[in-house]
Amino acid sequence: MESASVTLGHATGDHHHGPPEANKSSKVDQTTLGLLIFLVTEAMLFGAFFASYFFLRVVVNDGPWPPEPYELPVIVAGVNTAILVSSSFSIHWALEGIRRGNRKAATLAMAVTWLLGATFLFIQLNEYIHVGFSARDGAFGSIFYGLTGLHGAHVIVGLILLTIVNVRLWRGHFGPKAEDHRGLELPGIYWHFVDVMWVIVFVTVYIL
Amino acid sequence: MPVALKQAGWWRALYGLVIGAAFGYGLVVALRAASGLPLIQTEQTGYPQLVVALITGPLGFLWGIGCFDYWLRWIAGGPTVPDDHADHGAKNWKDYFKVNTDHKVIGIQYMVLTFFFFLVGGLAAMGVRAELAQPGTQIVDPNTYNGLFSTHAAFMIFVFIIPMFAGIANYVLPLMIGAPDMAFPRLNALSFWLLPCAGALLMASYFAPGGTFDAGWTGYAPLSTGAPIGQSFFNLAVQFAGASSIATAINFLVTIVTMRAPGMNFWRMPLLVWANLSTSLLVVAATPFIAGVQFMVLFDRVLNTNFFEAAMGGDVISYQHIFWFYSHPAVYIMMLPGFGIISEVISTHARKPVFGYRLMALALIGIVVLSYSVWAHHMFVSGMSSWLRVPMMITTLLIAVPTGIKIFSWLGTLFKGKIHLQSTAMLFSLGFIFTFVIGGISGVMLGMVPLDIHVSDTYFVVAHIHFVLFGGSVFTIFAGLYHWFPKITGRMYDERLGRVHFWMTLAGMLGTFIPMHWIGLEGMPRRVADYSAEFAAWNLEITIASAILGLAQLVFVYNVVVSWKYGPKASANPWRANTIEWLVSSPPPVFNFDEIPRVVGGPYEFGVPGARHAILAGDDKATVEQPKPATVGSVGSST
Amino acid sequence: MTVLKLACATIVLTVVSTVLMLIPNWNGPAASTAAGPIDDLLTVTIVMSCFVFSLVMVALIYFVWRWRAKPGDLSDGEPIHGNTKLEIAWTLIPTIMVLFLGGYSWVVLDEIEGKEPDRMVVDVYSQQFQWSFDYREQDATSYELHVPVGRQVEFRMHALDVIHSFWVPEWRVKKDNVPGVTTHLFVTPNKTGSFQLICTELCGAGHGVMRAPVVVESQAAFEKWVRQQDSVPDRPADGKDV
Ligand code: HEA
Ligand code: HEA
Ligand code: CUA
Ligand SMILES: [Cu+2]
Repeated sequence: MESASVTLGHATGDHHHGPPEANKSSKVDQTTLGLLIFLVTEAMLFGAFFASYFFLRVVVNDGPWPPEPYELPVIVAGVNTAILVSSSFSIHWALEGIRRGNRKAATLAMAVTWLLGATFLFIQLNEYIHVGFSARDGAFGSIFYGLTGLHGAHVIVGLILLTIVNVRLWRGHFGPKAEDHRGLELPGIYWHFVDVMWVIVFVTVYIL
Repeated sequence: MPVALKQAGWWRALYGLVIGAAFGYGLVVALRAASGLPLIQTEQTGYPQLVVALITGPLGFLWGIGCFDYWLRWIAGGPTVPDDHADHGAKNWKDYFKVNTDHKVIGIQYMVLTFFFFLVGGLAAMGVRAELAQPGTQIVDPNTYNGLFSTHAAFMIFVFIIPMFAGIANYVLPLMIGAPDMAFPRLNALSFWLLPCAGALLMASYFAPGGTFDAGWTGYAPLSTGAPIGQSFFNLAVQFAGASSIATAINFLVTIVTMRAPGMNFWRMPLLVWANLSTSLLVVAATPFIAGVQFMVLFDRVLNTNFFEAAMGGDVISYQHIFWFYSHPAVYIMMLPGFGIISEVISTHARKPVFGYRLMALALIGIVVLSYSVWAHHMFVSGMSSWLRVPMMITTLLIAVPTGIKIFSWLGTLFKGKIHLQSTAMLFSLGFIFTFVIGGISGVMLGMVPLDIHVSDTYFVVAHIHFVLFGGSVFTIFAGLYHWFPKITGRMYDERLGRVHFWMTLAGMLGTFIPMHWIGLEGMPRRVADYSAEFAAWNLEITIASAILGLAQLVFVYNVVVSWKYGPKASANPWRANTIEWLVSSPPPVFNFDEIPRVVGGPYEFGVPGARHAILAGDDKATVEQPKPATVGSVGSST
Repeated sequence: MTVLKLACATIVLTVVSTVLMLIPNWNGPAASTAAGPIDDLLTVTIVMSCFVFSLVMVALIYFVWRWRAKPGDLSDGEPIHGNTKLEIAWTLIPTIMVLFLGGYSWVVLDEIEGKEPDRMVVDVYSQQFQWSFDYREQDATSYELHVPVGRQVEFRMHALDVIHSFWVPEWRVKKDNVPGVTTHLFVTPNKTGSFQLICTELCGAGHGVMRAPVVVESQAAFEKWVRQQDSVPDRPADGKDV
């Protein structure tokens, strides 16, 4: 996003006085690198909650997990996982579409991604309503809502980004060149991260 | 709508703050109404409406001051205005109170603001010392006392040392690597403006019902989960300060990786750049842990979750594990940039290449790696699993090795140099070696489990803290501020006053913090407002010495203010240093360079005939001169 | 030649500073079997620290004095970039030193935490801002801690509200009392007398005054005292052992 404006500034203004073009000492794109590093910090934020999960479940808890009488809807969550994971494929399809210049495919795939993500969120909220315990019900409830809620917050942010991408696609933004579809690629990377994180959360919280 | 209200600035910031806070407050009330709860909750720890308002209020402020304008326009699909660089450079002092994307302006904003927080934190320390001058309760009650040292440490750590280093590097680092600016200038501005939010929250906590936070800067649960609302101010301030340092770290990493001048490979980077690279690696991977754990505390307080509620299956000790997994690396976040500064200052003023440059860089990376594996040395007596103690002790002690490499290499740099002692920056660097070795050795003692079992949570630890943080971090900060003062302000400071500042600070700091070792070993616990009479004499001495230490800082303030206004003009390179920031004028031009310089050798080639580090474009004489491969020697290989 | 002189200076400074540093009895009076090994460890650490400190200070002061620039001298120092042998030396030697200290500490740790079979058990309860002690074997409770001399005591520690920490400086040992878990501390007092138990974990406004008297006395005196105390009251269930 940053780099886009900088290049624009330089393309238009030969006359205006500005800073010299920075030397590119690395082939990686700045925004992509920034995003990747940001995702490291995101992963560590999840790491803090996973650490807490580990302490609560393994270190202090003696009884069964989840503690009686709570049960987790593994099947529903499993289906939901499949939904979210498939959205990773559809967003990849969108990226490939725009790379090949097939705007229609990209627009469609992006809309599908958004719908899949929203469905996931909807089912997750529904699960919260029916799961039968709250964040106040013991440490189990706290960490369950802590981990899935943290992830849910990321889905919401991801959906906001996807909304922007959708709108921009409808408006005819983006093109086949790498610089011209970074605004689609980067939210895509973020979305993949959200998916991968969910798989880890799902396996830890529901399966193990 | 009047323009003043529409345009980014303080007016909009003000009503942004009010609207943001009102929105947060209203949101909670509305949600509570929807779920049939009483509209306002005023349980001691709760106040959800206030807590949410404390998040949305600062966000409104940030919007008003203009941090988000560009992004919002971009999201709304508005036309991308070609950057006219209007928010670059500062024409007068008022520009420092606006959102500015110039790394030099941001650097100055950082340094001035964080120094202000140093004075605030120091004032709290003076309160601490006044109360401790005699045993018994004199001026503050125990609760207020706990608040005093908690805020003291919170100001010093979260809004002084960490961001001060970020500020110095913000100014110097892009110049040093030959970049026109940071990689993400707007993110950089946001990083800065998050800091006043954090600092204001810390200060505002004094007006919270029930008083300011008083669970120490470590805020251990469950003391913190049950504390009055002031604790929430701390939880949130840490989030703002943490977000700021994460954003800056990402910015530094990307800048260093992608924007180095041609010819500057990794082995030609100045050690300050290496130091900030390592620090940023620590920040991006460790800071989320404190963010996470403070969120958990906040949830326990506001939403009544049970992360740390033992009776409900929570784990009290897990707070400490997660907290120290950040806060131990944090102590190196507070030290590594200082190591970088010392390398620059010592090699410049000793007129010698840094001894063992590569090992110096590798030692930094070694500290980064090791520091993730030592957190539990703060928990030797905490009741954690006892098998963890010995492995953590060994890794802790091993940190002395890379740190020792740095100390010995600085000594090696002094060896056969031409040491210029007139410069206050050099005095602080040499003083730093002296004080930091003491602080490091007391750290090694604390790292040895049987000794720590005796002295943990006593004044011995307080002595260690201040020898490494004051004798370490603060000394290096002063060294850096003096060293780059001419570059930043374009004027020379008064060396005589600088020397007064140095010697007063050194004497005051030794007088204040050395006796703390003794009373700690003999049995004075830390964090107490009252103590047994046997420690009275030393405590009185400490209080007197700390007043000298405090007054010494006023000398510095005076020196800076007067020199900035009336000091003699500085030349481009008053210290005859080699790194790139000294090739441009003092202060540097708005866009740093007309053309990006070329790097042709290592950064510290003092005494090597004909060697150069970098060549500015248009410097004809130099362009013809071929860099001699031999001069690069063991320092940097050619690209 | 200079090297020799500097080495001598380092040794002299080490000896002088060590002697000076060893005169005071840093840790104060000792009253448990853990104190001996810990104080010895401190002594060894002080000797080694004095050596490291002297080495750095001699080099620092000598170099600065010897190679300070004369006013107006604008020349550069010798372009020495490094010395691999030296660099290896100052990596290896500190490594050996700290590993030695680590190993020694480990030995001391095992020594002071050895458990004896005939130990007495005392349950310690801490709450804002008071200590109480239950003697379940003897069915007694008290706000004062009395223990017989010469017999190992196992303290089983419980916290009723927030974290507190149990420290008797003369015994040299300390352990946190943590809500929800039971922590253990082993002490063999070997000197009779009156001491003070100090809370060393910040626990609120009364943290600084959260203390309790400690009396170490003969077995007979202890038995006499313990018979005069009230019976053990009802207490919340113990936490998980750690
Ligand atoms: C800038 C900050 C900083 C730095 C750099 C350090 C550096 C070190 N610290 Fe410190 N520490 C703090 C800030 C810092 N610390 C703070 C704030 C606390 C208290 C937190 C709280 O509870 O509030 C703390 C507490 C603390 C404790 C916990 C004490 C307790 O609460 O019981 C321990 C225990 O291991 C420890 C150890 C160390 C060690 C081993 C180092 C090492 O990195 C030091 C290495 C340096 C040297 C050793 C000197 C140079 C080396 C040589 C000359 C080589 C030869 C040396 C030998 C062979 C010994 N520190
Ligand atoms: C960078 C970090 C930093 C710095 C610079 C300092 C600086 C100082 N600190 Fe602090 N300190 C900590 C970090 C730091 N400290 C931490 C982490 C703790 C642990 C907290 C906890 O337990 O949670 C602590 C705890 C701590 C304690 C222990 C409290 C207790 O356990 O009960 C004490 C006691 O003396 C103390 C004193 C001082 C003093 C006198 C200074 C002086 O150096 C300050 C000098 C500066 C000034 C005085 C400001 C400049 C002057 C003015 C504003 C003008 C006014 C001057 C006068 C009136 C004379 N500090
Ligand atoms: Cu109990 Cu401090
Ligand atoms: Cu540490």
